[in-house]
Amino acid sequence: MKAISRTGAAFAALLLASLLGSTGALAQTCKSGPATVGFLPKLDTDPYFQVAKTGADEAQGEIGGTVIQQAPSQATAEAQIEFINNLVSQKVDVIAISGNDANAVAPALKRAAKQGVRVVSYDSDVAASARSLFLNQAKGDSLAEMMLESLGQLTNYDGDFAILSSTPTATNQNAWIDFIKARLKEPKYAKLNLVQVAYGQESEQINQQQALALVQAFPNLKGIIIPAGIGLPAAARALEQSGALGKIKLTGLAPATLIKKYIQNGTVQDIWWNVKDLGYLTYQAAQALAQCKITGKEGETFKAGRLGEYKVGANGEVVLGPAQIVTPKNVDEFKF
Amino acid sequence: MKRSLFDRLATWDNFLALLALATLAFALLRVPNFATGFNISQAIAGVSERALIVLPMVLLIIAREIDLSVASILALTSVLFGIMVEAGWPLPAAIALTLAGGALCGAFNGLLVTRLGLPSLVVTLGTMAMYRGIGYIILGSGSVNDFPDSVTDFGIDTLGDSPIPWTILPFLALAPVFVFVLQASATGRRIYALGGNPSVALYAGVRTARIRFGLFVVSGLVCAVAGLVFTARLANARANNALGLELDVITIALLGGISVFGGRGRLTGVFWALLLIATLRNVLGLSQIGGDAQGTVIGLLLILSLLLSNLIQSALAAIHARRSIPETGDHDGGGPPAPSTASPAE
Repeated sequence: MKAISRTGAAFAALLLASLLGSTGALAQTCKSGPATVGFLPKLDTDPYFQVAKTGADEAQGEIGGTVIQQAPSQATAEAQIEFINNLVSQKVDVIAISGNDANAVAPALKRAAKQGVRVVSYDSDVAASARSLFLNQAKGDSLAEMMLESLGQLTNYDGDFAILSSTPTATNQNAWIDFIKARLKEPKYAKLNLVQVAYGQESEQINQQQALALVQAFPNLKGIIIPAGIGLPAAARALEQSGALGKIKLTGLAPATLIKKYIQNGTVQDIWWNVKDLGYLTYQAAQALAQCKITGKEGETFKAGRLGEYKVGANGEVVLGPAQIVTPKNVDEFKF
Repeated sequence: MKRSLFDRLATWDNFLALLALATLAFALLRVPNFATGFNISQAIAGVSERALIVLPMVLLIIAREIDLSVASILALTSVLFGIMVEAGWPLPAAIALTLAGGALCGAFNGLLVTRLGLPSLVVTLGTMAMYRGIGYIILGSGSVNDFPDSVTDFGIDTLGDSPIPWTILPFLALAPVFVFVLQASATGRRIYALGGNPSVALYAGVRTARIRFGLFVVSGLVCAVAGLVFTARLANARANNALGLELDVITIALLGGISVFGGRGRLTGVFWALLLIATLRNVLGLSQIGGDAQGTVIGLLLILSLLLSNLIQSALAAIHARRSIPETGDHDGGGPPAPSTASPAE
């Protein structure tokens, strides 16, 4: 019998009709006290963002306010948009996002701003028009520079190398790859030859397959640059098992602790920074923004607790500090 | 045999309807921030494409076919639309060509299935990779995200001051058409006949190949509509759009009571399943539950609802059998517990 279905449908329609809540705009107000900050990482399972959150929690313990962290199970813009809207509905004061796709999340973030929510990006930037601040772990150019330099050190600046990136749409990685390609024209790197850019899609399995495939496809391969936190450890393990590690050197970006043993035996180098501090800085900046201490204009300064004073650079960028090449000498300094 | 009132009420549709409405009522009354215009409009907008694609998917599954390439057709049509807009084509032409592209993808699926007699599971598994691959060939890892205001406004705005987003309108327009075709037309009866028993349908004079081909074309066409909606909603055309959406759509169809073996199921159940999953996802999000846990909950929901439906059916069967099982008073006495063989702790 369709009776229940029908009455149900009518009831549901009534419920919706009764919800003629206006979807109009709300002004951004200045908070007089600590604000609620919703962190929206790229992916739910990425330990990188869990560690960043410990920094945010530390800052929250010092200056009050609330930390929420929620992330999608797929590293796509579409999945993130749902979470942006969720955070807006939860009435957070600031969204701190690490964008899966700089442009695709922009409309949703702009709509969030219309609802009175402020937006900062951290780790991976979004379109500048859609956020007030970008908390950058390190200048992108310097990271790419360091990765290429590290590869040079490992291969004596000579031979074929490949890049195993994260997803084809990752903003950071694509910028680094472009930078590396440009840098290869310099005499110092003239003998290095980029044979392929492959993608590990933020998945351990795909990274392992791709790393092995690169070794198979290019017999003269000397090294792989892997600018992805999930990819570098996965590729190192796969190559170690196939016996290719050593003949092929790896460098890139990953939590130093995950590849410590490979760094110690000299087959892998790493470019890294203090991830916990990035979360700490992001939370401090988000609070300063919510309380109108800063607006995102170039030249403004704010205090970030134990990290000291930071200055807002061009395009609302705040740089955490210089990264380091991790070698057997300094590997013990890194706690993540 | 006349069915009792209780039997007629105890259908899967009604069970889902109750579940969906209970979830909705709970959300309205107990979940903070659920009942705001902004939230409702976002929850609805979030299922725009899934709601569209599930319509042809249901018809296909009833006809004992499946289309796994739906999300890839969405991505490819999104890419096609993007490059046409980028090249400065007028919108009506770009939209028309995009729809034609989707229908063409569907026709290719349909041809392989009907002409070569290949199983649609295999064919669409292949085209799923192929269509997305073509999208990657066209756009590489790049994207088009500069669209005219009319497109982005359609993707973001709601109807006046109501919480109804524009992006759900294509679904609201198409849904009655699909309901009519499936549940009130000769074509619908033929689709059921074809799914119930293909060879009998064939001998009864149903043009099975033509119907199956038509269903694939319609599926491709609707995916192109979904591709346009998706592109507008994200202001973004790229080859990895809607990754994994095909499984979400199939989940909604199966939860809606469409039989995997074809020939059974109704669209009304699917609409309740849509409402249920949309509400559930939104409530989980508002309760600060991450994406991975959300997937787990929805998977559990599917398993539990299937178990429950089986239990209810067997219970009903037992009542019908009028079998009164005599109490014997004899219960199974458990043996003594096995002696523990724990090693002494050192």
